Amino acid sequence: MKKELRFTVNGEAYELYVKPKSLLMDVLRDQLGLTGAKRSCDTHTCGTCTVILNGLAVNSCSILALQANGGEVLTVEGLAEKTKLHPLQKAFLDYGSFQCGFCTPGMLMAAKALLDKNPKPSKEQIKEAIDANICRCTGYNSVIRAVTAVVNGEYEEAK
Amino acid sequence: MIRDFEYFAPKTLEEALTLLDKYRDNRKIIAGGQSLLKLMRHGLVNPQYLIDIKGIFDLNYIKSEAKKGLRIGALTTHWAIEESPLVRNGFSILAEMERKLAFIQIRNWGTIGGNLCHADPAQDPAPVLMVLNATLRTVSLKGERTIAVEDFFPDYLQTALGPNELLAEIQVPTVPSHTGTAYTKFNIIENDLATVGVAVSITLSPGADECQDIRIALGASAPTPMRAKRAEAVLRGKKITDDLLTEAGEVASAEAEPLSDINASEEYRRQLVKVLVKRIGKEALTKAKQA
Amino acid sequence: MSNYTVIGKRVHRIDGTEKVTGNAKFTFDLVLSNMLYGKILRSPHPHAKIVNLDTTQAEKLIGVKAVVTGKDTLGRKNGIWRRFPELCDEEILCRAKVRFVGDPVAAVAAIDEDTAEEACQLIRVEYEELPAVFDPLEAIKEEAPQIHEGVELNINVTRHIEWGDVDEAFKRCDYVREDRFKTSSQHHVCMETHDAVASFDYNGKLTVWTSTQSSYYIQRLLADMLGLREGDIRVIKPPTGGGFGSKFELDSAQFCASVLSMKLCRPVKIVLTRAEEFTATKRRTPMHYFSKLGAKKDGTFLAKEVRVLTEGGAYTGMGATALYLTGFFSSFPYKFPNYRYDGYRVYTNTAPTSACRGFGAPQSTFVGESQIDMLAEALGIDPIEIRRKNGMTPNYEVPGQAFIQSCELHQCLDKTEEQIKQRGKLPPNHGIGVACYGFMSGGIFNWFDTPYAFSSALVRINIDGKVDLFTGACEIGQGSDTTLSMICAEELGVRLEDIRIHSGDTGICPADLGSWGSRETLMNGNAVKMAAADAKRQLMAFAAAKLGANIVYDLNMTDRWFHLVDRPERGFSYYDIVKGVIRGNDGEAIIGRGHYTPHRKGMISPAYSFGVQAVEVEVDPETGRYKLVNVSTAHGSGKVINPVGIEGQLEGAIMMAGGYGFCEDQPMDNGKILNPSFDDYKLIRSLDMPEVKILEIESYEPEGPFGAKEAGEGLTNPTAGAIGNAIYKAIGVRINDLPITPEKVFRALREKENQGK
Repeated sequence: MKKELRFTVNGEAYELYVKPKSLLMDVLRDQLGLTGAKRSCDTHTCGTCTVILNGLAVNSCSILALQANGGEVLTVEGLAEKTKLHPLQKAFLDYGSFQCGFCTPGMLMAAKALLDKNPKPSKEQIKEAIDANICRCTGYNSVIRAVTAVVNGEYEEAK
Repeated sequence: MIRDFEYFAPKTLEEALTLLDKYRDNRKIIAGGQSLLKLMRHGLVNPQYLIDIKGIFDLNYIKSEAKKGLRIGALTTHWAIEESPLVRNGFSILAEMERKLAFIQIRNWGTIGGNLCHADPAQDPAPVLMVLNATLRTVSLKGERTIAVEDFFPDYLQTALGPNELLAEIQVPTVPSHTGTAYTKFNIIENDLATVGVAVSITLSPGADECQDIRIALGASAPTPMRAKRAEAVLRGKKITDDLLTEAGEVASAEAEPLSDINASEEYRRQLVKVLVKRIGKEALTKAKQA
Repeated sequence: MSNYTVIGKRVHRIDGTEKVTGNAKFTFDLVLSNMLYGKILRSPHPHAKIVNLDTTQAEKLIGVKAVVTGKDTLGRKNGIWRRFPELCDEEILCRAKVRFVGDPVAAVAAIDEDTAEEACQLIRVEYEELPAVFDPLEAIKEEAPQIHEGVELNINVTRHIEWGDVDEAFKRCDYVREDRFKTSSQHHVCMETHDAVASFDYNGKLTVWTSTQSSYYIQRLLADMLGLREGDIRVIKPPTGGGFGSKFELDSAQFCASVLSMKLCRPVKIVLTRAEEFTATKRRTPMHYFSKLGAKKDGTFLAKEVRVLTEGGAYTGMGATALYLTGFFSSFPYKFPNYRYDGYRVYTNTAPTSACRGFGAPQSTFVGESQIDMLAEALGIDPIEIRRKNGMTPNYEVPGQAFIQSCELHQCLDKTEEQIKQRGKLPPNHGIGVACYGFMSGGIFNWFDTPYAFSSALVRINIDGKVDLFTGACEIGQGSDTTLSMICAEELGVRLEDIRIHSGDTGICPADLGSWGSRETLMNGNAVKMAAADAKRQLMAFAAAKLGANIVYDLNMTDRWFHLVDRPERGFSYYDIVKGVIRGNDGEAIIGRGHYTPHRKGMISPAYSFGVQAVEVEVDPETGRYKLVNVSTAHGSGKVINPVGIEGQLEGAIMMAGGYGFCEDQPMDNGKILNPSFDDYKLIRSLDMPEVKILEIESYEPEGPFGAKEAGEGLTNPTAGAIGNAIYKAIGVRINDLPITPEKVFRALREKENQGK
């Protein structure tokens, strides 16, 4: 029997009916069409499904959707403001911090969650923040450079 | 694939216990779900009823009771424990352990109670709580019990919880003065599950350099988290030297019952226990001297 | 021509904004109306006959629309070495026999994935288990079970490469050493698993959207297997989440989705789970190596003899190429006057082994570079010096095999030596190891039996000056869309933003063999350059006429401006010229065509990259655990077209190659892979990644567009060897089998201690 799920996603309020077994990732992707978060494993260990729930970076594949009831979710689709890219997105473009792009939404959200909590992280803290996010293409260092550039104020103030 | 189940989301401990009592078979409790959902996705666990206790705010707290120590609600997330000033200022080893426990995403949603109840012998909290002499408060409709952490794991992947009991609180007594605690886990890549985990707590007698009390706990070195009591006996009541620490490491290595798996052989795990008990013992000793 | 306006500049990726906003729609994200979801049932046994297959219960399950087995196919065997029918040995949907744990036996299409999965569990398969064999050393024995009918001793492919006279040369050597090595399995770990959406329509036409490195190969192979006309199949490659060599063969997702769709005339989507990805898709070839190296006492190499036995797994795939390339690159990047290689690929009842980034060269480089260090130590020669002494130089001929034009090896050695000197004295238990390598820029082989040029491109200039570039090259993350657009813009004389690239769609793009063997920059780059030049010629003809300048003056167009080279202020805007030419063409848009196929370029490749890597490790002698502290790489890839792209390849390769040396492996028990998840398959994450230094190398390769050659695969070759050499330098133990795990280091240290006692 489906249960009611009320939450906010990228600033918009939703009222859905979901099967209790639905994972947060599946509701975001299949019911709301927000396909940024991806699935690349079945063991909560790849980070491609990272979104921000109640201000915290989480693996959306490892959370029952109903546990987000009453909560606030931010996905990669909510980063840019209309035509204005978020500083992290701009930095990723400038520093070539992605290649195939499959891990990128998760990577961006992990970085955003870090900067929301700690606007001046150390390099080690940046590495820790993205340690869950596997990237087979870039070798991570370009991601760290991009985040560091945002931290150093090379772009507008990080939101 | 996850099979359909009937879902309950109690908001109070009372409601949760009533549900546990009502649905005794084919049911599971979910907190953060970071361990359970993995099993469900692989079809290893297929409950008919799922009781979601994540929303019970009454079990999500960190308190300090004067002279008694720390009280942590079972549904406190790893992240909250790591960030808590109460934890950092009196029980910093817990904060350090939480920081290395797993990826941030898992720490943000997973709970310490959920981690303990999953009973993985490679888990981080158990060895650290053991050397801190922690106890666990469990509740059911019939009442409460207090169980020492080292008595909480009777066998591989099993806990001492009764069928209708819930883990409610972790109680960490105030750390005695002249005590140093240290923890490390060996893994091949960072943030990974422990290949071997070692926690040591040393209390020195005031004024003297003698080891008044010592606790050594091992993770991923036996079917359950374990105390290395024979190794402790090597050091207890003595003035600790490097040679004694080496000996304690050797005894702990023999005392452990590690398995061989694809990550490490039994022999290698024993070597790791030997080396890490010595090193972590040294670290705990240094901290005890400074305390 | 050293002043370029587009190439060599740091630019945003063409597909950048869609990827950073989450708008890029991968095959994984594709949803079509009326679409069904498919799941594949796979064999739990490594070797068995299929005695009976009962799908009735599965078909009855509500929500299931079709169940197919081998009997629903034409019974053909698929293989990428199409010119050699005996190497086309894979049915994909097995009919009579399964040959590895994970071999597909049935597929289901249903209204959702869960229903499809449940239906798979209801399919009853009766197997008659057969004896199985897992190690090629065992499989090659008389008594071993025969895996493919008619293949004696399970020897699938053999390869022989030889020049000079090694037996005679060894006699003249002052020092000869023989060593054995074992290299491991590795999985590509593309972040997007294999997936496909296949849609067969009522007109008998099949469209397949799939994550692939070669839409043309998939089109051709599907045509072979399904009995459809090639032109009735359209393969479209959406943004693709990685390839690394795993996605240019026909895979089970593509084939089963197509078979199911043909049965229903509805789209069917199949996405492999990570566990399926690890266990049932192809992987890097594990190899047993015997290597004999001989030199004079001054360090001059005289002879090398290599024998390799590779674990082929259940089917050939691209394994034959890996066998060949490992033998060829065992001679790289040094001048061996005498060389002999004998390679044997042996079938085993394990997941098939095939192409994986580096394609046999990471294996051969690990072996070769380890052995050279051992030889250098025995002779008392510095490891860089011995490499310098024997290293290839520009315009060198590998006898009968290859002609090396550009070669930056010595520059790379010099830069690396300088970098190591700057590091200064190392702390205790630290060591720096060096490894050299070379790699091809695309192969000259046509075992695929294509009648098309290896690469083709089409340029269309529209009335507003916007350029459509059509290419079969496949962007899989490596940046080919951006690099090829840059080449097109540079050649034409316009800006990068004037180019709109259409790639990887067989319906509209000319054929290209695909993104593997590091071929796109050189081969498709040449085709794109030719197409752009063809279009430009048409513009130039009109511009020249309009300008009416004396014949002694050269014309060119750069940055949208046609002008006399010597008097750039005299000229016209590109837009005016375009309008004029189209009017002169009776209103037809301007078309430029280009293609490239290597002719008479030796046995392997038209050009080779070269490089040197130095890895510093810190070892804990009590546990054997070690950290990759820093890695410096000097890589010669000719003219750098896309600097951001090359840096990405340089750094990214270290993650994969470092993992190959350090922690990635696929242990098995009775043919079953024991670590099919990221919990147990260890790989390098951000906290494990070393500091990386890129040492810049300038060079120029005449074969390549604007002098460019490969960067994506060569970089995967050296790291394992450099790690092995570094650990030896740090604590004096050498590990000859990959991966070099902490436990192996610990055991080697303990053995060394015991020997000392």
